[in-house]
Amino acid sequence: MDFSLSQEQRAWQAKARRFADEEIRPISLERDRICDPVAAFDWEIIKKGSRLGLRTAAVEKARGGPGIDFVTQALVMAELARADSAISKTFSQCWKWTHLIQSACTEEQKQRFLPAFLADDTFVMGSGSTEPSSGSDNRLPPDDVKAGMKLRAERDGDDWILNGSKLFIANGSIARLFFVTARTDPSVPMAEGTTRFLVPRDTPGFRHGKVFNKSGWHVYQNAELIFEDARVPDVNRVGPVNGPAGSFRGDLGGDIFGDLELAANGLGICDDALDKAIAAVTAREQRSPPLKDQQLVQLKIGRMKMLTEALRSYVLRVAWEHDAGIRTHNAGLAMNLSTDIIQEMSETAMAIFERAGKAMNPAIDKLVRDSFIWSHLAGDTVQRLKIARRLLRH
Amino acid sequence: MYSLRLSEEQAAIRESVREFVAGEITPVATRPERLEPFDVPLAMDLVDAAGALGLRTLALAEEAGGAGADMLTCCLVAEELAAGDVDVASVLGWTSVLGGLLFNELMTDGQRARFVGDFTADNRYHLALADREEGMATALGIDYHRATADRFGIATTATRDAGGDWVVNGTKTRIANAPVAKLFAVLVQAGDAPAILLVPADTAGVAVTETPRDGGWYHGALGDVMFTDCVVPAANALGPGAVAKLTAPGADFIAPVLQAINLGVGRAAYDAAVEYSGVRVQGGRRIIEHQAIGAKLAEIAINLETVRNAIWRAAWVADNPDAASDGNAPPLPLAKISQVVTAERVYRATKDSAECFGAMGVMRDMPLQKYIHVSRVFLHTGDGVSDAKLRIAEAIAGHVRG
Repeated sequence: MDFSLSQEQRAWQAKARRFADEEIRPISLERDRICDPVAAFDWEIIKKGSRLGLRTAAVEKARGGPGIDFVTQALVMAELARADSAISKTFSQCWKWTHLIQSACTEEQKQRFLPAFLADDTFVMGSGSTEPSSGSDNRLPPDDVKAGMKLRAERDGDDWILNGSKLFIANGSIARLFFVTARTDPSVPMAEGTTRFLVPRDTPGFRHGKVFNKSGWHVYQNAELIFEDARVPDVNRVGPVNGPAGSFRGDLGGDIFGDLELAANGLGICDDALDKAIAAVTAREQRSPPLKDQQLVQLKIGRMKMLTEALRSYVLRVAWEHDAGIRTHNAGLAMNLSTDIIQEMSETAMAIFERAGKAMNPAIDKLVRDSFIWSHLAGDTVQRLKIARRLLRH
Repeated sequence: MYSLRLSEEQAAIRESVREFVAGEITPVATRPERLEPFDVPLAMDLVDAAGALGLRTLALAEEAGGAGADMLTCCLVAEELAAGDVDVASVLGWTSVLGGLLFNELMTDGQRARFVGDFTADNRYHLALADREEGMATALGIDYHRATADRFGIATTATRDAGGDWVVNGTKTRIANAPVAKLFAVLVQAGDAPAILLVPADTAGVAVTETPRDGGWYHGALGDVMFTDCVVPAANALGPGAVAKLTAPGADFIAPVLQAINLGVGRAAYDAAVEYSGVRVQGGRRIIEHQAIGAKLAEIAINLETVRNAIWRAAWVADNPDAASDGNAPPLPLAKISQVVTAERVYRATKDSAECFGAMGVMRDMPLQKYIHVSRVFLHTGDGVSDAKLRIAEAIAGHVRG
């Protein structure tokens, strides 16, 4: 079993690390401390990263993109997250929807959207599924026809008219293009009655609403999407009407990549937390010996390293499986494990950093707040239940 | 008789504070404009309103004009106030508990006579213990189970002047209630021994700097107090027992009340989670009817009940100091045990409560994320849980410091 990285993988990892250290780290904390989430977002870092290929990294080489493999994607996401989890996620969110375009869209749609995406450093993407009355229900659709998303899409000639709203949508206030899943048949359960559409930002009747102020991933833009007789042409439909292959089934994009994405991002958090913890315990402080000589501290550091390497192994294994076209439960499991691990890692780092008579180091507080986001997106408990149910079906 | 029953008085006071909080504090404290900004100022009007109910002078002896509340009663009140607003509970907790200890026990008759009138009459008369300094090493750390005294080192000095008064120089850092205190109890090195001096805030040579609230990592009011050639009358020195009482590691004289404040925050999170889970429908039923949520709420309830029991036991021992010697409490620092239990389990409880809300659990215009932040600050302030465990270990081993 060969765990070594290729030269190209190493080169991308090094490029991402350099960008993280030189460009992301210097602005990470000051951005997180801007209370207004809209003002906190930094377009400059997106443009800089885009020029290095970080925004478009998942576009296939045949279409003029870097076309990096999943192992490389995992390495890059981890390196960027090591400097700032939310900024890493802003880049990789574009890869998530790139994967979906490349696996689920028609050639005509790819030709229409991918060149513009490649050419514009500020072209980021998003996807709308969650609504006020359905978060978990969208991920584990009940049989009740009244349950699940309510955003309605009704056919009108060559177009569809969309009415309703989406909530907490990632990149909602800044994306140029969205995948939007809507109810095309409200008389059947959600699993049988939704259709996916590509909705460009400038679609008439479509706008974003409130931008959410979050305690973690503060600079990551989550917003409300509002559809008021929004007119979307049928040529923007992705997949069949009322198709079973909606956003919650297994395309290569969406949740399949999304699970690896969160686990890899979490790995970056682990590496940062461990680095900071080791620096803290080896530093010489006035009036007291270094912390590293104490057994309780040593036990904490040892466990932090153990958890980090365990997650690294799992992340790269999942990435390898994606590259090999092997579909297992591991992606979702790695994501759920990363939730537990990064929370223990960041909170252990916080215990190491606590000092009587001092405020907590703000970078450590940010790590803890960012880590807690994992429990609040993608339906944490529901995700765990889904995997268990799939396991038990066989 | 070992009774787990609250007295009628205790039950009544708890009920009346709970009603007051529900009507006057919670509706204000949970507004988005008091949750979203990074630097929301202390709501002094809410502190004043609660003070006007007698909660500022709660522990002061009845003869002196207070409610004569014991530690357990102070914990009941603190939990109720904190379920509404943690800052209000902190400011009043410090003033009422410190006030009780100073006026009831540590002051001389002369000192009491000079200060009690203003303390009872002025609803803005708050108290602060100016003990901590930059660089003061209080953690056990490497000294665990070694034959050394607690490494303290007081840099704030008090030297006698020609008239026999004290001249105080030094800076105290991160002192609870400093920005609102009208009277400080100041820990000084007076020659070769530590001492506590009573210093009115308006004494010449006293300067208070409020700690910024954004990133300040505290509850209530906090600030630095700088003493520059501050002349304090000789008659303002507290008696010899005061240093030990006020500077026990981890501020034992107030620990159960601070823990009760944390518990109140946890309870507010839990109450919100129970209410929401009883109305939110996903997966075809109210989410409280799903095992995953039901079990989570049960865990939270278990944790909060455990915490409450630990705090009340520590408070009861504080009110019954002979409990350990006559076999009614183990020879262990119960306030340290309740510190660990409270800090860890309330933090777990606030996070679990927030999880019931999905994405709303991390939105800054909602209180769940604030409850988590508050309990996180409690968990990681002071010498921490690891240090507390080492102190408990020393007690188990019968190791005596110094």
